[in-house]
Amino acid sequence: MNTLELLKEEIEKCVRCGTCRSVCPTLKAIGRETACARGRITLVEHRLKGSLELSGNYLRHIKECTLCGACKSNCPNGVDTVRIFAGARAEAVEKEGVPYAASVVFKNLLESNRLPWALKLANRLQGVLFRDAVASSGLLSRFPLPLIGSGRLLPPIAKTPFLELPNVKALSGHGRPGGALGKAVRVAFYAGCGVNYLMPEIGTASLDVLKRAGVEVVVPVGQVCCGMPAYAMGDRATARAMALKNLDIFESCNFDFVTTACATCGHGLKSLFKDMLGDDPELKSRVEAFSKKVRDISELLVNELGFKGKGRGPGHETKVTYHDPCHLGRAQGVREEPRALIASCPGVSLEEMKNPCSCCGLGGGLSLVNYELSMEIAKRKAENIRSSGADVVVTACPGCMVHLRDGLHRFGVNAKVAHVVELL
Amino acid sequence: MLSELVKNELKRIVGTANAAFAREELLCYSYDATNTLYPPDAVVFVKSAEEVSLILKMANSEGFPVIPRGAGSGFSGGSLPVEGGVVISTERMNGIIEIDTENLTAVVEPGVVLWEFQQEVEKKGLFYPPDPSSLRFSTLGGNIAECAGGPRAVKYGVTKDYVLGLEVVLPTGEIINTGVRTAKGVVGYDLTKLMVGSEGTLGVVTKATLKLVPLPEATRTLLAVFPDLKDAATAVSGIIKAKVIPSTLELIDGVSLKCVEEYAKAGLPEAEAVLLIEVDGSREGVVKDSEVVERICMEYGAQSVKSATGKDEVRDLWKARRAISASLFRVKPNKINEDVVVPRASIPELIGGVREIADRLNLTIACFGHAGDGNIHVNVMYDKTNPCEAKAAEDAVTEVFKLTVELKGTISGEHGVGVSKARYLSLELKPEAIEAMKRIKAAFDPNGILNPGKIFPKKAAEEGAYMVGAEAASGVPATGL
Ligand SMILES: Cc1cc2nc3c(=O)[nH]c(=O)nc-3n(C[C@H](O)[C@H](O)[C@H](O)COP(=O)(O)OP(=O)(O)OC[C@H]3O[C@@H](n4cnc5c(N)ncnc54)[C@H](O)[C@@H]3O)c2cc1C
Ligand code: SF4
Ligand code: SF4
Repeated sequence: MNTLELLKEEIEKCVRCGTCRSVCPTLKAIGRETACARGRITLVEHRLKGSLELSGNYLRHIKECTLCGACKSNCPNGVDTVRIFAGARAEAVEKEGVPYAASVVFKNLLESNRLPWALKLANRLQGVLFRDAVASSGLLSRFPLPLIGSGRLLPPIAKTPFLELPNVKALSGHGRPGGALGKAVRVAFYAGCGVNYLMPEIGTASLDVLKRAGVEVVVPVGQVCCGMPAYAMGDRATARAMALKNLDIFESCNFDFVTTACATCGHGLKSLFKDMLGDDPELKSRVEAFSKKVRDISELLVNELGFKGKGRGPGHETKVTYHDPCHLGRAQGVREEPRALIASCPGVSLEEMKNPCSCCGLGGGLSLVNYELSMEIAKRKAENIRSSGADVVVTACPGCMVHLRDGLHRFGVNAKVAHVVELL
Repeated sequence: MLSELVKNELKRIVGTANAAFAREELLCYSYDATNTLYPPDAVVFVKSAEEVSLILKMANSEGFPVIPRGAGSGFSGGSLPVEGGVVISTERMNGIIEIDTENLTAVVEPGVVLWEFQQEVEKKGLFYPPDPSSLRFSTLGGNIAECAGGPRAVKYGVTKDYVLGLEVVLPTGEIINTGVRTAKGVVGYDLTKLMVGSEGTLGVVTKATLKLVPLPEATRTLLAVFPDLKDAATAVSGIIKAKVIPSTLELIDGVSLKCVEEYAKAGLPEAEAVLLIEVDGSREGVVKDSEVVERICMEYGAQSVKSATGKDEVRDLWKARRAISASLFRVKPNKINEDVVVPRASIPELIGGVREIADRLNLTIACFGHAGDGNIHVNVMYDKTNPCEAKAAEDAVTEVFKLTVELKGTISGEHGVGVSKARYLSLELKPEAIEAMKRIKAAFDPNGILNPGKIFPKKAAEEGAYMVGAEAASGVPATGL
C-alpha cells in the first residue's frame, strides 16, 4: 500500500465540521481555509484520489503547518490530523526526494555524536556561507541557525557539544553495559540535538538536578538525533534509521528510565519510534519495551523521584509564566508536572498566560518554510507573555526556547526565557 | 468558467493577492459542514462593501453566480457554490468596529468569529447571548444569514432578536443601510428582519449593528439524570410551567450521551436522558431558581440532579454538549442531521414518534437539543454503503418531517433550508407562500446571481445539469452530515 492509502481511513473520518478552525495557529495568522486542518485534509484527500498534482501550491499548504496537534486534540471525531500531514509530507518526499542539503546534514546527524561538518563550518563562518546547506538541514528544521535574515535572534552553536564535554563523557556508561541494577534508580539521559549543539547548559543543569535527586545517571555514548525533524519533513527512511540506531545504543545499557529535557525528543522516543519502527513485529516489541521507560525530565522528577519542592529557585522574587510545548502538553499530556516544579521553587510565583498551550510557531519545520508566518504566530505568544507580566517565561523544550527568544526580542518583550531545569 | 476578462477584473477589484484561482484554493472553498463538494471558479477575499458592490455589478453584467461565505460551518449547504461562480469570503472583514457601552450596541464586520466577539463584549461587562454550538468558529455574518441560535434561545432568543441594523450590498450592487441604532423604529418595511435568515440570497451583509444586554451577575449549571427519555421531555414543560425560564434547557438522549462521553470524558452519566439546565440572573435569584428546577425534575422522575461546581466542570459539560453533533459519527459513518422544532408541550410526542420510527425502520436515531424552545436535533445514523439502510434513513427523515408538521412545528429551527432541505419546503409551506418568497427574491435579484440554487426547489425540467449536484447535496445518501 502506498503512503497515502494508509491514511485513507483517517482522512475519511473528517466530516468537515470546521471545529479545527477555532484552534489552528496558522489559520489565525493566514486567515484562509487552506491553512487549517479541514482544508489541508481536503487537499491530501484529493492527492489520494489522484485528482491533485504535487504542485508548489499543494506543498506550501501542507508544509505551512506546525504539526502542533491542536486540531487533533480538539477534533470531535478523533481525526489523527498530525498523522495525515506527516504522511502527506512523506509522500512528497517519496516522489521528490529529500532536498540535497538536508540529506547531507541528516546523514551527519546519523553519524553518532560527532558534530556535523556543516555545523562546524557554520560555527566558524557564522553563517555567511553554507547558508542553504544549513538552512534546510534536519537539525535546522527545528533549530533555525541559518543565520538568514536580519534582526533574527539565533543562538550561537556551542563550542563543545554537550555530548563531548569531559564530565558528560565520563558518564557514558562504557565498560558497564548490563551492570546490575543497584539500589539507586538508574537513569539514561537522552540529550537531543538542541541540548547537544545549542544549549549544553540545559544538559548540564539536567545532570545536576538528577544528581541531587539521588539517581545514578548514564549518558549512553553514540546516541544520535531522535529523528523527529526528519519525520516532520517527510524523510521517513532517515527517521527510521535514526530511531533504530538510538534503540540499539540504549538497549546496550541498563537503566530504569530514559529521560530528556526536550519535549520533541521525548514525544519522539515515547510515541513516534513506534510509528517509525512498528511495522516490523520484532522491532515493535523492542520499541514498546523501550518507550515505556521514557519520561520527560519534569515527569521523572515529580512522579518517580519526588523532587517537587526541592528546587533552588532563582534566588530572588520572580514572576514566572509557563509555556506548554505542543510536544509535551498536548502530545505527552504532561502539563501539571513542570508547573508543580516551578510553583514549588522558593521565591517563584507562577502566573498563567492566556492560551499557555498555543503553539510558539516553530513546529513542523515552519520557521524554515515560512519564517514570517512562524513569527506571526510567535507574535500572539509574545503578546500573551507580555500581558502575563512575567519576568521569566519557562518552558521545557530547547526548540520553543529558541523561537520564544527570537519572538520576544522581535516584538520587544522583556521577559527572559528559561528551561524548567534551569530554575531548579 | 470565468473569462480571463472577469478574472482580471476581480484581481483589479480586490488586489491580486486576494483573488484565488488555483485548484488547491478552490477545493478548500468547495465544502461546508454538510461535507459535500462543489468547487467554485474563484475565491475573493474582500475587505469592503465597495469591493463587494463592484463584484456584484459585474456578476449581473457578465452572468456568473456569487456566493457569500463565512466560516463554512453551515449545516444546510448555504455557502456551497452549487452552480460554480465566485465565492466571496468574509475572512478578512473581521473587525469589531465599536462596542458602545452606553447604548449597549456593537458594530461589527461580518467575518468576526462569534466567540471572539463575545469575549470582547464580556470584557466590558456586556453580553451577546446567541450561542450556536459552532460559536467558536462560525462568523457573525453566517449567524445573521442563518439566524443562528443555541441553548440560550429559550430565554434570550436567537440572532434575529439582536440585529438592529445592517449594511447590505444588494444583489444588484447598491449598498444600503437597514434598520436603526435605537430600540424602536418603524420607518418603512423592516428590511433588517428580511435579511436575517435569508441565507445569503438577498444581499451580502458587510456590517452589522448588534444589540447587547448586561451580563448576568451569576449563572448556575445543573445536570438532571432521567431513567426515562419521555419523563425528561415532560419535565421540560414542567419547568416552564413553574414560571422559571432557564437560560438553557437542553435535552440529551442516551445514544448521544454515549458517543460524546467517549470524546469529551466530561463525566456524563450513562442514562436514558439528561437535562442540562442553566439558570442565570442575580445571585439570590439563581439560588432560588435552581431549587425550583431541582424539585421539579425530581417530581417528573429524575433519578438525580447535580449542580456543577467550579468553572472547569461547567466548561467540560459545555464542551461535551457542543461536541455531540460531530461525535455521533462514532456510531455510524453517515448521518442526516435535522433540527426540527415543535411547540414545547409536544416534545414528548415528537420524541416518542421518533423512537417508534427508529424501531420500525431498525435505525439508530439520536435526539438532543434545545428542548427549552422545542428545538430537537434529530440525527439519523446510517451507513451509506448499505443501500437498504440509506433508503431507510431517507424514509425516516420524511416521516420525522411529516410528524413535525402534524405537531404544528417547523422543519428547521436553525440550520436553514439551503440545498439540503429545499425539496422538503412544500411539506411546510403552501405553494402560494413559496411563490410570494420567490417574487421577493426576484425583486432583489432579477438576474438570479446571488447564491443561486438555494432554498427553492427547482422543477426537474428547469434544472438541467444542476439537478445532479443538487441531488448529491440534498439526496440524503450522498451526504455526510
Ligand atoms: C458542529 C456544528 C454545530 C452547529 N451548531 C449550530 C447551532 O447550535 N445552532 C445553529 O443555528 N447553527 C449551528 N450550526 C450551523 C452553522 O454553524 C451556523 O449556521 C452558522 O451561523 C454558520 O456560520 P458560518 O460563518 O460558518 O457561515 P457559512 O457556512 O460560511 O455560511 C452560511 C450561510 O450564510 C451565508 N453568509 C455568510 N456570510 C454572509 C454575509 N456576510 N452576508 C450574507 N450571507 C452570508 C452563506 O451564503 C450561507 O448561505 C452548527 C454547525 C456545526 C458544524
Ligand atoms: S475538527 Fe476534525 S472532523 Fe472537524 S473538520 Fe477538523 S479535522 Fe475534520
Ligand atoms: S497541526 Fe496545528 S498548525 Fe497544523 S493544521 Fe493542526 S492546528 Fe493547524
